[in-house]
Amino acid sequence: MFLRQLDLTPALRPSLYDDETLLFVQDAVGLYEGKFKIANYQIGHVYLTSHRICYVDNVEPRTYSIAVNLKDVDHTEFYAGFLKSSAKITLFPKTPKNALRSPVPKYASPSDALVRPGNSPARSHAPSPAPAPARDINATWICPICGFSNAVPTNFDPATANQHTKLPACQACGIPPPLVHMVKAAIAAISNRPAHSSSKTGALSNGTNGRGSFDVSSANASDEIICPRCTFGNHASLSTCEICGASLTAMNNRHSQLIGDSIARPESPGPTLGGESIIGNDTIETIKFSFRAGGEKVMLERLNEALVQRKWLLQSAPPVPKPGLANTNGSISDLYSTPPPPQRVVGIAGLERRGAELRKNNQTVIGSAFEDLEALMTSAKEVIAMAEQFRSQNASSDSVTPEARALLTDSASALGLSTTRDMLGTGSSSETLYITELARNLAEFLTDDRRGVLRREGGIISLVDLWAVFNRLRNGIELVSPFDFEKAANMWETLHLPIRLRQFKSGLLVVQDRSRTDERTIAALLSWLRQLVPPQLSSDGFEQLPPAVPAGLGFGHGATAQETAERFSWSVGVAAEELEMAEDTGALCRDQSLDGTRYWENCFEDFVVALGLKVPSAASVEQMETDQIMKNLESMGF
Amino acid sequence: MASSSSSPAPPTLTSAYAAPPPTSISSQIASTTFTFPTYTSFPPFYTLQPNLTTRARQLTLWSNLLTTYCAHHRLFKLSLSFLPANLFANPSIHRTLSQPDIRTVLDHLALPANGGRVEWIPTSSRSEKPNSCWVYWRTPAEWADAIYGWVDETGQKGAVLTVYEIREGEAVQSQEWRGMDEELLRKVLSVLVKRGKAQIFGQEETAGVKFF
Repeated sequence: MFLRQLDLTPALRPSLYDDETLLFVQDAVGLYEGKFKIANYQIGHVYLTSHRICYVDNVEPRTYSIAVNLKDVDHTEFYAGFLKSSAKITLFPKTPKNALRSPVPKYASPSDALVRPGNSPARSHAPSPAPAPARDINATWICPICGFSNAVPTNFDPATANQHTKLPACQACGIPPPLVHMVKAAIAAISNRPAHSSSKTGALSNGTNGRGSFDVSSANASDEIICPRCTFGNHASLSTCEICGASLTAMNNRHSQLIGDSIARPESPGPTLGGESIIGNDTIETIKFSFRAGGEKVMLERLNEALVQRKWLLQSAPPVPKPGLANTNGSISDLYSTPPPPQRVVGIAGLERRGAELRKNNQTVIGSAFEDLEALMTSAKEVIAMAEQFRSQNASSDSVTPEARALLTDSASALGLSTTRDMLGTGSSSETLYITELARNLAEFLTDDRRGVLRREGGIISLVDLWAVFNRLRNGIELVSPFDFEKAANMWETLHLPIRLRQFKSGLLVVQDRSRTDERTIAALLSWLRQLVPPQLSSDGFEQLPPAVPAGLGFGHGATAQETAERFSWSVGVAAEELEMAEDTGALCRDQSLDGTRYWENCFEDFVVALGLKVPSAASVEQMETDQIMKNLESMGF
Repeated sequence: MASSSSSPAPPTLTSAYAAPPPTSISSQIASTTFTFPTYTSFPPFYTLQPNLTTRARQLTLWSNLLTTYCAHHRLFKLSLSFLPANLFANPSIHRTLSQPDIRTVLDHLALPANGGRVEWIPTSSRSEKPNSCWVYWRTPAEWADAIYGWVDETGQKGAVLTVYEIREGEAVQSQEWRGMDEELLRKVLSVLVKRGKAQIFGQEETAGVKFF
């Protein structure tokens, strides 16, 4: 099972390929490998797409996210939860066909493990696969008759064994076991064998040495090796247990250590794998997703559907043959990418003919697609490509017909750009899941450089404006209510997304980039205010100023909210709020006249310092104000 | 030699302000033209600032302006209906401190915590707000010290002086308090009386003061 590193969008969702569609999302999922939990991959979201199944961790999404290609999955297995153990879906990888003979085996299939001696020339070519403890010496099978535990013979291969394979008899009662039993025991032993890091071990050896880093991590602190079978503590340098004779390989010790650890930790059923990277780890055979908050049934359905549909093959599939096209060009996209004219006519006539053919093609496609819904599904790819084109055209022009709109929205949801409600499971947790996914959608939408929403608004946009833009884009399908929108906006902080919601003193809510702080805004305002000297004041001659005034040419200039909005390309409301915010911090002061309200750089401090005056504190000013008001009220007779 | 106080010379906006600090008692001849400080050309100076910290600074500057202006032009009283033209306004930048704001500034300055540089003169009817105020570019206590010091220096302790003499007498021409309002002078003298340094006797018009 090949686990690949996953690319994430800025909103910490998996970035999808062009053809990939998102099918299902579920949170509160943990990963297991075999029976063991994989450390650091225990709390996260799982995203099922048509090509992959992805896991994104909640705690550290950028380091602990993996994806498994669905084309590597052979079949799935479902385990309904029981008491404390939650429901699990297991994915089994496909065994590559040439596992036994290939010089560069990609996967360590179960067969590799046991048939080691026959593979030694093959192994010498292998760059990275794990030199598995070739003979799993500890694989034992229990005789069904007398209960004695015998060792599984090293040349036993469960994949190729059939009824003619000679099976050794039990050592106590002398009766050979049934084949099925032996196979089961072998497989059980293999799946219980802990994985080790493949690329780290260069040494190709079998048996006890050459485990690489795995050995280091499993070294006992107490210089005693616990026998896996009888739990007797042997000396560190022994290789077989003194009491029962079981082998004391380091690998086996780790197994027992893990079991010991898991016994000591009652809160988590199931042992955990230590902290090596599991990405690209060839020896991981099965991956289990544990659904701690439900959603496993829907996930299983969708997963099986996706496996059946095999959308990843569409990419390399030949295009659907189109009936009724005169020329041999198969699909519209082919026509666009390499347009050889059928008759080599140059000039206007040729262009006109080409345009006519394009229109004819479009007509045919739309006609055939909409006639039959099934046909739409198959030709969905071309339709989507066309829709993208139209959308880009429509963005520049203004005429949008209703059918085009409907097509666009269909394609938008088909492209999986927005998480619709039916993608999520039912239940109360789906509400929060919807909100979190909406929050991530919004983050992606805002940080999308192609649209440049934030850039157009000068980096800061009010929540209402954003809601309007976002819903307009959704074109009538799956509109978001303001309440949900606000809830999603509040989650940005908790999800560590790169945008944040900010509330001004007057209650206005705006959305801005996380890196844009008040200080930076104030600094930008001040530097701009210091720049210009308006012409009407320069005639008064501010040549000699007290040195404390910072601006060399006077006081700079005063700015109204309108001018500020123009300069920074904010909206006027936002500009007014920002100026007031700066005034509250004391960086600006206001000047009200018949012209309106202008904001200047606050030079009062400098004047006061230059004249060496003593200033009463602001608190005393406030106190005096209130006293004055009280006095006035009293004098008026209240 | 400066004219008596109600019509100040028109100010010009020239270089940095250089007036004596209000606390020094040494006598100085004021220059004919009052140089307005730079902050009077700062437009926000004429708008009452909502931010309290900034407002505190602004009021300090107003206090400074008021005292220096009145000290320069020897204004002892300020009436809101007949304000000096350029004290609360700057026509070159088209900014004026509005009437309610003027009141606020003066109220602020009237508080003892800010130095008590202004005192409202109570009007006859209680419901009206006072329309004029004293501007103490020197507080009465300071005036009292100044007068007593002069009396001491000129060896007039024990002599009897009329109030008119103290105000407009020839010997007083070089002193700072010449031309002081009668009422104010009486206030100052009452301070001295309280301190026990003087005694007033006689009627209103022909009152005399004796210093001890």
